[in-house]
Amino acid sequence: MSGIGKKRVKSEPFIRIIKREGLKKQYAALFYVAAVLAALCIGALLLVSLDVDPINYYKKVLTIGMIGHAFPYKLISNFIMNLVPLLITSLALSLAFKMRFWNIGGEGQFILGALAGAAVAFSLPSGVNPYMSVILMALAGGAAGGLAGLLTAFLKVRFNTNETLFTLMLNYIALYMITYFGETKREWNFFLRADSQRPKFSTIPGNTVMPCIRIGDLSLNISFIFSVALVFLMYVYLKNTKQGYEISVVGDSMNTARYAGINVKRVICRTVFISAFLIGTAGAMHVSTSQSLSTSITNDVGWTGIIVAWLAELNSFAILLVSFLITVLRFGSMTAASEFKNIDSHFADLIQGIILFIVLAADFFIRFKIVINTGRRKSDEEAYVK
Amino acid sequence: MNAAGVITAFLFAVIQYNMGLLYGTVGEILTERSGSLNLGVEGTMAVGAMGGYLLGCSFDSIYAGILFAFIFAAVCGLIFAFLTVTMQANQNVTGLTITTFGLGLYFFIGNAVKASGKWPEMSPDMGFWKGASPKRIPLLSRIPVIGEALFSHNILVYMAIITAVLVWWYLKYTKPGLRLRAIGENPASADAVGVNITFYKYVHIMIGSGIMGIGGLLMCVSLSGSFEGSNTWTNGFGWIAIALVIFANWNTLYAILGTIVFGLFYALKANSGALADTFPGVLGWLKSVPPQFLSALPFIITAIVLVISSITNKKTNQPAAMGLNYYREDR
Repeated sequence: MSGIGKKRVKSEPFIRIIKREGLKKQYAALFYVAAVLAALCIGALLLVSLDVDPINYYKKVLTIGMIGHAFPYKLISNFIMNLVPLLITSLALSLAFKMRFWNIGGEGQFILGALAGAAVAFSLPSGVNPYMSVILMALAGGAAGGLAGLLTAFLKVRFNTNETLFTLMLNYIALYMITYFGETKREWNFFLRADSQRPKFSTIPGNTVMPCIRIGDLSLNISFIFSVALVFLMYVYLKNTKQGYEISVVGDSMNTARYAGINVKRVICRTVFISAFLIGTAGAMHVSTSQSLSTSITNDVGWTGIIVAWLAELNSFAILLVSFLITVLRFGSMTAASEFKNIDSHFADLIQGIILFIVLAADFFIRFKIVINTGRRKSDEEAYVK
Repeated sequence: MNAAGVITAFLFAVIQYNMGLLYGTVGEILTERSGSLNLGVEGTMAVGAMGGYLLGCSFDSIYAGILFAFIFAAVCGLIFAFLTVTMQANQNVTGLTITTFGLGLYFFIGNAVKASGKWPEMSPDMGFWKGASPKRIPLLSRIPVIGEALFSHNILVYMAIITAVLVWWYLKYTKPGLRLRAIGENPASADAVGVNITFYKYVHIMIGSGIMGIGGLLMCVSLSGSFEGSNTWTNGFGWIAIALVIFANWNTLYAILGTIVFGLFYALKANSGALADTFPGVLGWLKSVPPQFLSALPFIITAIVLVISSITNKKTNQPAAMGLNYYREDR
């Protein structure tokens, strides 16, 4: 054994990797911009290989098809309809991720919220005013999503059930649940239209449709205002409240949290409940906005939200920016798909994936530092001092 | 169709249409045994399937297809390994990105080829088709009822079983296999005895992903390689594979059983009408089971398995270091 030991010492690695204490914010931001540009360049190469003019295509995507459109109001409100669920879901997920609780159940919680919201919408009397009914729907949706989250959190803290895998399973259980309601024509199934022979989700009653504030021709949806307000609320909650502080301590080190007298189990249950509650709310509000259920109602927000939260480094304002940009990409490629027949909207997934690959790789240089062993001890020491 | 015919068709469907799941599961078990939770199975399978099918058709050989499916998927594995092992990126996020990216690439290539009018359609005069057609195992395939159902499949189905058995043997009885399991349980100890962790992780993540890719190719062949802009060939099986890993308790032999059990639900979905009509007395109730419930059943069962195994605190084979990156200087 001693022989091996000696050999080890002799051949100290030439390149060593050590952790570093954060990089300047500007550099980090530069990394991200470079990552996006690099991804767009790779995308452009792919487009050229299909004989598509990348500049033309990107122009179409980035302007979400508004150019040459006389009345883009409809487009803008459609865009907002796509943005709001993603924004709320990403914010909610960042809450759980901050605690290193891997809630990947956004899809399922969103669907449960949507189902509960729709159930409320169909059972409310027609006299209830829109604001009241949207609030009731959101609360019901939040409760449904929140309970699913709470169950996961409870199992985690009580029995140490793996939350990543459990929420993954719940996603699909919820998905097949909504598919069941969408495909089963029965007397009791009030989600479906009574007048249609084939199973078809019915439209929600008029008094439960998301109210809008009209500014000229543009109608601003209440849920949009809510989601932007949530950005600020979330920021304050995480930065300036005791509960937010507890979350970051639990996320950093559970042992420290316990030592500091924080009731870790309660913090986890509470935070995951809030996270899932918000996602459920987003689901219910999306039903109210889009006025109908659909088996693809999530539009992948549960998955995309994870990517957004991660790209934004769990910062609320960055989430607002990133979810806006990702929605431009996704919504834009959807509108562009109508013009470019050989590129469908999944091109956005491809670009999104490449961006994240580069960012994940770039993260390494933000978190770690490469030290080249020049043989002199000094350089290592310097690195440690830094 | 007579009763025996219905049963044969049912059993055939259980095996033929679900063995893609076994590949995904075996690949994921190999990956997770190295301590990495790769949530990119769905994307990896899709990329492997697309690469394998297109290149397999252009070389007009199923073997070329298998090779390229393996290589394409292994490249996805390489990306995952590079990001999580070398770049220390979060495994959950990286895995999900592999899925997003993989599905994006699948649709991108598929749509591009389809729009250019060069999509290879499977036809009986192709070598690829001949290679992918069912091969009867002599004697065994002549057993009444089950012979036709179990021993008359294409080469990819047989390979799935062989791969599962080989991986089981590898993990249980070979030195590298034991070392790999040690890495999954306690990388620091494995490192201390001189195992090259980085090398082992890279190799096994890549081989695991490659195996998933062959599964994707099998699913593509089962659907005669017809590409639609809206659906993937893998159709969510990558996610079920992740579930099946838990159900099979990280053991590839159990994974064969698990594939058949999960496959039963899927085959029931397609065949419940025929079964209920043929055996109204015994299986008549099948008609009242919603097909969506059968689709959800693998996930429901896995969720229950997850909860029960954690409540009873029974020792599962889940690698202790699964999902955690190994950073040497944290020792």
